[in-house]
Amino acid sequence: MSELIAQEALPGLVAKWLAQGKRVAGPSVVKPGYCLYVELKSSAQLALEGFIRPRNSIKEFVFPHHEAICRYHFSGHTVETEDCDPPQVDQVIVGARPCDAAALPILDHLFTWDYEDKFYTERRKATTVVTLACQAHDDACFCTSLDLGPAAEQGSDVLLLAVPGGYEVRCLTDKGRALFAGETRTVEQTAVVPPGPPVMVAPGTIMAFLQARYDDPMWADLALRCLGCGACAYTCPTCHCFDIVDEGTAAGGCRVKNWDCCQFAMFTQHASGHNPRSGQSQRQRQRIQHKFRIYPEKFGVMLCTGCGNCARNCPVGLGVLSTLKETAGSAPVEVGV
Amino acid sequence: MTGQLRERCRRLLQDGAVQVVIGYGVSTSDGMPHPIFVRRPDDVDKLIWNEQCMANLTTYLTRDAVKALGKPAIVVKGCDARALVVLEQECQIDRSAMHVIGMACAGVGSPRAPKCASCDVHVPAAADEVIGEAPAQTGPADPPYAELEEFLQKSPAERFAYWREEAARCIRCYACREVCPTCYCPRCIVDKNRPACLDTSATVKANFAWHVTRAFHQAGRCTGCGECTRVCPVGINMRLLNQSLARAADEHFGYRAGTNRETPPIIGAYGLEDKESFIR
Repeated sequence: MSELIAQEALPGLVAKWLAQGKRVAGPSVVKPGYCLYVELKSSAQLALEGFIRPRNSIKEFVFPHHEAICRYHFSGHTVETEDCDPPQVDQVIVGARPCDAAALPILDHLFTWDYEDKFYTERRKATTVVTLACQAHDDACFCTSLDLGPAAEQGSDVLLLAVPGGYEVRCLTDKGRALFAGETRTVEQTAVVPPGPPVMVAPGTIMAFLQARYDDPMWADLALRCLGCGACAYTCPTCHCFDIVDEGTAAGGCRVKNWDCCQFAMFTQHASGHNPRSGQSQRQRQRIQHKFRIYPEKFGVMLCTGCGNCARNCPVGLGVLSTLKETAGSAPVEVGV
Repeated sequence: MTGQLRERCRRLLQDGAVQVVIGYGVSTSDGMPHPIFVRRPDDVDKLIWNEQCMANLTTYLTRDAVKALGKPAIVVKGCDARALVVLEQECQIDRSAMHVIGMACAGVGSPRAPKCASCDVHVPAAADEVIGEAPAQTGPADPPYAELEEFLQKSPAERFAYWREEAARCIRCYACREVCPTCYCPRCIVDKNRPACLDTSATVKANFAWHVTRAFHQAGRCTGCGECTRVCPVGINMRLLNQSLARAADEHFGYRAGTNRETPPIIGAYGLEDKESFIR
């Protein structure tokens, strides 16, 4: 027994959410070969099949690329400031991939840690995530290595699974139930979840490697290829670094919180000119260390869902997975070294 | 051609003629050719050449970590080789301190990269040696600015709407800049923050400022390799923008960046016959 929504009914439901004034985001083909999560203006824009996963992630709907946090203006010799309120949104993300949804509980740790970032938490509270289980994977996918899979439920309010003629609807939270109440009918059939990618790396061994081989020459070799752009971090569901900058004129302006990326040379550049991570090898190592050692040591979860966007979007084919495979291929780490 | 390439590189490394080969190797993750740095003769079998060798490797020549490896041999396609000319003219590389292996090329990518339709450099010019022969039947090349000409058929309002939509998607990852051989500034104008020259927010307005500024900085310098467009995660066709300025340089000054090392770069040269009609 399961709950079902017919294939043709789903766009109607999306249209209903839009008509209710909700902000709705989902995958859309913006140009041939480019499927992105975008804010949907109509249900016709929504694309649910024909691609492995969007090239970006859903994080931008809870942690936008840029966000005003304070406005200021100069008045004589004084500066007047005015805090910006966290946004009031009521939004639904439909057709999220499980590897995107699973990033949200991971990000919650960071944004509610020693300081609650209301710009994140307010959006998060007002967001309902309707995830669509994966029917296919490609060579970049490695969710199963992170204890996730094509129908992982972490971070989702509703999980949809494709069945002939529609989608099985598994409501996982009250928020999810509210969205689909009265929209489904009970049927006999239940969905079959296709197998995910094979398990390719073991997080435990990665952590051991990272603890023991901080200065491994591997990092310098790997990083030679890295161009130092932010395509990996900016399309990663879990990367969350930001920069606070003031933008404006001599009269005043805005303090904004913008995405930043640990692969940029400027990321750690001090005002003195000194840069503690002066080379790309240190920056590449930092990215992997943060994801698979520092974050789990601090919060108990890996900062990665195995979505593979880093590899797909890297100009030179350097993803987290290929790096992890390098660590796995290195000499075994002796415990206690 | 892969066999020939490997043998040549084995010899170059064995003889100590070069210390590193910057070439393409097959990635274990996606089976596609990506940049590799081969430093030992025993590793030359990692090198490969096929029509998926998209990357323009010349972007590595100006990077400190790569320069530190010693004298390089570099594998280039005809389109990539044009960047070598620009880099040499702009005193960014010492052309005599590297060995350039040109690969004859019938086109890359499946489907073919847009740049290949107008390719007139199937055999790289100014390489130290060329592996392979010119493809037998390449057919007549499209006019160099065909894609741009088609775009210019649209009205200014339509074109603005197009670029507005493109700019709205930009996430400022700067993959376009980092992959570009002629974007080699140690500190890009967008990274200047004392004072800031360009906003780093990914707003439509600031993204316009970024892409237009970058295009202007590429005027008469962009060689049309199209790497910026290939690597963009959100599919912005920056090559189209750059082609507009390339065409201006061509029409007004008869100049095509990277095609002739004897022609002084237009940004750095002045002639009495230079047109001034565009100054208003």
